[in-house]
Amino acid sequence: MRIVHEWLAELVDVPADVEVIAHEISLRGFELAAVEHGVIDFEITANRPDCLSHLGIAREASVIWGGALKPRPSGRVESDSVIPVRIEAPDLCPRYSAQLFDVTVGPSPSWLARRLEAVGVRPINNIVDVTNYVMLEIGQPMHAFDLDKLQGAELVIRRARAGETLRTLDGVDRALDPEMLVIADAQRPVAIGGVMGGANSEISESTRRMVLESAYFHPPSVRRTSKRLALKTEASTRFERGADIEAPLEGLARAAALLEKIGAATAHATRDVYPSPRLPLEVSLRGSRIARVLGTVVPEDDVPRILSRLGFLVTGQDASWQVTVPSYRVDVTREIDLIEEVGRHHGFDRIPVTFPPLDVPQAVPDPRIERDGKIRRAMTAAGFSESMTFAFVERAAALPFCRPGVEPAAIENPLSEKFAVLRPSLLPGLLDSCSHNRRRGRKDVRLFESGSRFGPSGERRAVAFAWAGERTPGHWSTQPAPVDFFDVKGTAELLADVLGAGPLDFSTSAAPFLVRGRSADVGTRGYPVGSVGLLDPAIATARGFPASEEIYVGEIDLDALASVVDAAELRTHALPKFPAIVRDISILVAQALPAAAVRGTIRSAAPALLESLVEFDRYQGKGVPEGRMSLSLRLTFRSSERTLTDDEVEAAMSTIVEALKGAHGAERR
Amino acid sequence: MSDSSIDSLREQFGRELASAASEADLRAIRDRYLSRKGGLLSALLKALGTAAASERPRLGQLANTLKKEIEQQLDERIAAAASTRAPRGAVDITLPGRRPAVGHSHPLSILRERIESIFTRMGFLVIEGPELEDDYHNFEALNMPPEHPARDMQDTLYLSSPMRSSAGSPATLLRTHTSGMQIRYMETHEPPVRLIAPGRVYRRDNLDLTHTPMFTQVEGLVVGEHVALSDLKGTLDVFVRELFGQERKVRFRPSFFPYTEPSAEVDISCAACGGNGCGMCKRTGWIEILGSGMVHPAVFESVGYDPEKYTGFAFGMGIERIALLKWGVEDIRLFYENDLRFLEQFPQ
Repeated sequence: MRIVHEWLAELVDVPADVEVIAHEISLRGFELAAVEHGVIDFEITANRPDCLSHLGIAREASVIWGGALKPRPSGRVESDSVIPVRIEAPDLCPRYSAQLFDVTVGPSPSWLARRLEAVGVRPINNIVDVTNYVMLEIGQPMHAFDLDKLQGAELVIRRARAGETLRTLDGVDRALDPEMLVIADAQRPVAIGGVMGGANSEISESTRRMVLESAYFHPPSVRRTSKRLALKTEASTRFERGADIEAPLEGLARAAALLEKIGAATAHATRDVYPSPRLPLEVSLRGSRIARVLGTVVPEDDVPRILSRLGFLVTGQDASWQVTVPSYRVDVTREIDLIEEVGRHHGFDRIPVTFPPLDVPQAVPDPRIERDGKIRRAMTAAGFSESMTFAFVERAAALPFCRPGVEPAAIENPLSEKFAVLRPSLLPGLLDSCSHNRRRGRKDVRLFESGSRFGPSGERRAVAFAWAGERTPGHWSTQPAPVDFFDVKGTAELLADVLGAGPLDFSTSAAPFLVRGRSADVGTRGYPVGSVGLLDPAIATARGFPASEEIYVGEIDLDALASVVDAAELRTHALPKFPAIVRDISILVAQALPAAAVRGTIRSAAPALLESLVEFDRYQGKGVPEGRMSLSLRLTFRSSERTLTDDEVEAAMSTIVEALKGAHGAERR
Repeated sequence: MSDSSIDSLREQFGRELASAASEADLRAIRDRYLSRKGGLLSALLKALGTAAASERPRLGQLANTLKKEIEQQLDERIAAAASTRAPRGAVDITLPGRRPAVGHSHPLSILRERIESIFTRMGFLVIEGPELEDDYHNFEALNMPPEHPARDMQDTLYLSSPMRSSAGSPATLLRTHTSGMQIRYMETHEPPVRLIAPGRVYRRDNLDLTHTPMFTQVEGLVVGEHVALSDLKGTLDVFVRELFGQERKVRFRPSFFPYTEPSAEVDISCAACGGNGCGMCKRTGWIEILGSGMVHPAVFESVGYDPEKYTGFAFGMGIERIALLKWGVEDIRLFYENDLRFLEQFPQ
């Protein structure tokens, strides 16, 4: 709201320095947008429609600088019933006042036009300009109809009828519906109540007689209509936040005085329809409560002083007051609202600085916070940088990560197609981040993200990672090696260890976004928790990643993992007292035989003395027949009770070799 | 043999030693002077016999002194040369080291952890909540009934069809702030309350230099029998100075939020100009960093707290905005592009 210094000074005494005015008022809840050429632009918060006027700001100034509001000339208001006004929807329009004028339409005098321009309102003609002037001065929106353009000289305030339309003053044809309030003549709507007038009854150069409307409209109704029509006006902004229901006649009187002063009109009869007048609102205010909320004692005399300058009627004594709320203060309905008034004019800078007492120990934080911290530490230590991506993505980017036939969750009112659906996975965002880096010449990219994803079972937490380029940072001493399946498999295992989820199971994946044969579904204790593997190159290239390069990815459902985490307290094992015996074995088996099958056979054939076994080489090529592979394993035997003998271990080894021969046709190399 | 032949040998040795460039040169000099057979000193001592018998003892002593001098100087130089010799298996230590691959935490995580740690030390609990919410927890319980004009302050993204949130409840929108979590907490806990709720929130804002449709918020809530606006000032004063520096000034300015009353915007003195006014602070000397206020009694009523008995304060901040200020980031979108050239500027 732009406030013109000289205009404000007509309403109340203010300092000559406009910067001082701007600063002091800005510290009382009106954020300063700009000050220039004697005009101060304040941002008016949604609760203070009364300050969308010079009068409202003048009341604030009267508290600050102590001057009383100055009277303004106002014209006659004669009540009679010359214009028929019928309110058919009193719930949406509790008060409607109108006055007849004979008018001579022409340009406004320059002082008036200049003031409007200073506030940013375009002058149109003397009639419309005066209605705008009154609105900017006292906050009451008004609308002028050309009486001779009305079809049937009456005004009916009713809901629009289905199918009715109205061309508004901005030249747009508006389809109306029965939830919208219109002002109609005997035949048709001539204005949308509180929003905008119709072109069919617009004031023009030829207008001779006018009806001036000054009304109060129900805020939620104006808001709904304004939203539905996507039509926001100076009037609708004031009505939807709450105009002053006691102001309509004051508005007419002020307009009449101005119109006559500039020779634009002669005032005639007024009609005021106000079936259920507002009841006065009284609120109690306790000094003790002010002190309790603000944490400081406001001097007892200051409370009535502040409130009465703002227009409240204050009675009472001994720090206990009865306060009558003026009709324009729609934001004040209870004691706390008065405390705010006292607090902001007392000054927040005068409130002391204290610290709230802490009298109970704090509860344990959400375990997900600690978990996210562990993930971040483990993943950054493993070389992944943390990324953050939007929770909404393009539908095309999301689809490959949805189960076949499942649609991603759509947003009703997305900003654009790029943000149309909620991400079913964190991978589309990571993929786009990989492409972003790759396009900027960065080949080695390792990123992870933990956050929410949105699937058929709702909002769930997940962690995902993507790895492109080299496995290790380039160095003069080493040959580059590209990332492969076993890197992301190991990353998933690392995460499971860090989160206490125990050993993972890997099985052939059917995930549609991974390449078959180089991907796996991940489970633990029989529950599926995610998948890892090579991202389908078609998906990667569709998001701008080079077709010739690979991205390995993984994603783990943290909520699923949390449900299987072993919460038992850690128990340590005693260190072994007796030495181990290590045996290496190399066998030839079918190339397609999974290592896990060999391991299983060994485990079941070996005595309990087998402490561990691990593959240390896998070879195909010269010396190994076509269709077979050489697999080398290291077996460690140990007893917790005694030192083992070579004979015992040899016996175990020959049992194992026999079992491997029997189960897989393995030959020892 | 004479004094002069001893002196000239000393001078000759001095010159040769000075011009010796390597350990090998030094060893050659040692051979030439000190070898038992044919060394220059052996020759000198042999020549002692040609001197007068009365001079022999004196000249012999002088020759021996020279020999000791030569031995000592050669030993020192050879030892010094040996100590600079590269040992077996030496490497060129000026070649690049092999650094383990280490990733970087996201700046918003770094900042969020820092903020959490400041509040945790002040006795705050940290909670998390669902990102999908229902209208009641996001708006109604916060004194924003349907058609409330303040709903325009937070343009909302809605779901096409209801979905299960991580709280297990049916949700219809993407939360516009983390306040819904505070409502959920108060619904299930009695005062006193002292918590912060960090998390991602969503608003229908177009992407530009200072706006993203998703951002990270940290909100706080303190409720008790004797919690006042002065406590809000004290708490946020500690927080702001710990985060931005003890020299920063803090200002509380009345404002409006539907869920707090009185409400206050919190400004910090501008670091760029020290509060004198510059382009960064729009010539005001102050930069707005968070919103706050005393919890509105209507909010307490909606969660079943007695507003006569309890008072409280709440605050909320967008940490992207704080990160922009703190680290001089010029474009908020950098936080969501995950450009490694940006991420790698932050500590590991």
